[in-house]
Amino acid sequence: MKEVQASLLVLGLTGFSFSLLLAFLSKKLKVKEDARIEKILSILPGLNCGACGVSGCRVFAQAVVKEGKIFSGCLPAGEGMNKEIAKALGIETSVVKRKSVAVCRCGADDKEKKVSCLYQGPKTCKAADLIGGAIDCLYGCFGFGDCEAVCPPGAITVAKGKVYVDIEKCIGCGKCLPACPSNLFELLPLAENLDTYYYIACNNREKGVNVKKVCSRGCIACGICTKGENSPFYLKDNLAFIEYKKIVENEPLEEAKNKCPTKCIMKFTVHSS
Amino acid sequence: MKNLILIFISTVLVNNLVLTYFLGICPFLGVSGKLETAFGMGMAVTFVMTLATSISWLIYHFLLERFGLLFLEYVIFILVIASLVQIVEMFIRKFSPSLYQSLGIYLPLITTNCAILGAALFMVTRNYDFLESVVFGFSGGIGFSLVLLIMAGIREEVNYADIPYAFRGAALTLIIAGLLALVFMGFSGLISS
Repeated sequence: MKEVQASLLVLGLTGFSFSLLLAFLSKKLKVKEDARIEKILSILPGLNCGACGVSGCRVFAQAVVKEGKIFSGCLPAGEGMNKEIAKALGIETSVVKRKSVAVCRCGADDKEKKVSCLYQGPKTCKAADLIGGAIDCLYGCFGFGDCEAVCPPGAITVAKGKVYVDIEKCIGCGKCLPACPSNLFELLPLAENLDTYYYIACNNREKGVNVKKVCSRGCIACGICTKGENSPFYLKDNLAFIEYKKIVENEPLEEAKNKCPTKCIMKFTVHSS
Repeated sequence: MKNLILIFISTVLVNNLVLTYFLGICPFLGVSGKLETAFGMGMAVTFVMTLATSISWLIYHFLLERFGLLFLEYVIFILVIASLVQIVEMFIRKFSPSLYQSLGIYLPLITTNCAILGAALFMVTRNYDFLESVVFGFSGGIGFSLVLLIMAGIREEVNYADIPYAFRGAALTLIIAGLLALVFMGFSGLISS
């Protein structure tokens, strides 16, 4: 009988003291959640793309509530949704603008890329990269569309082994950058005064002769585009690059695009920013 | 000091809680899908295990032994572990919301991780003193994290392999676990007593 009493006492007291401690700590460590956070979260598209500059929609909603203004804006939400968020908070909205768009530095399709061994593994770029790629070019796009799968607004499509970015849909979040095992994507900064942009759609750092062997659309580093005054082009690692800060007008770029022997300079036009 | 180092090496490698005593198999198979979550889970388990063994030691020696209530050890240990997990959860939620988010459901699941109860019970049967218990709990957690990370690394790679249909999923996971256990048996001659 004594044992029963003792065990009841010890167990009861230990349990009671632990529960007291827990009750005390739960009061002390209570996390206050603003009801508005949940409300904003339900308005947001919930893509967790990170284009706004913070990691995920929840953090964005918290920041919006805390700062009291939409500090950089949710890009995929668009203007209407941003206004709705502002209405929920009872504040003014600011204009939302994307700062950059993604471009793919490989512009060759199935016919232009040479393939001498047929890859038959799982159809993802990551898997193909493990065994050294699915095409002869060591730098180019495999075309399995890992980027297509991660793109939050669905701006990327892969057709016939070539990546197409819908510039109007692209929100410049940069999720495609780590998704590509060949690091082909690049965020191209948008400028205030330009609406047409150029980029070099090749990533092959081999010498021109070797590029020709694996692809008919690769940059052979001939340097034609760097000729002429005010040319924003420069060569590095057997590859042409554009110094975007140097661009004043588009004429030298258009000229270079037409002169490029392998047609690997591409352009796109932004209709709305 | 030599004693403590021996306990550390023995618990992490030779007598690994997961692969030699087969404790904590549930999170070992459940949370080893991705390296990132495996790391978070490992760290949380290490933290809880270290605290659980030390507090259990205090309660065992100053309460149960004094009043002759040794048969209560299971109940008391479970009580300690459950409360600790709750406290840890509250602390993490308050001071590191991002870690709280990434651990998600795994945090409360530590309560039912039998490796932790196992560590507390081993500590009693092996008559460790207080310092030894703390080191034992810590190294048990480190051993758990190590095995979890190895498993997650292998499973991430195996995802890309061309596996016969019958072996896909749980079957292959169990085979990998068995092979890992065999590999860890190789450590058995490391410490001769």
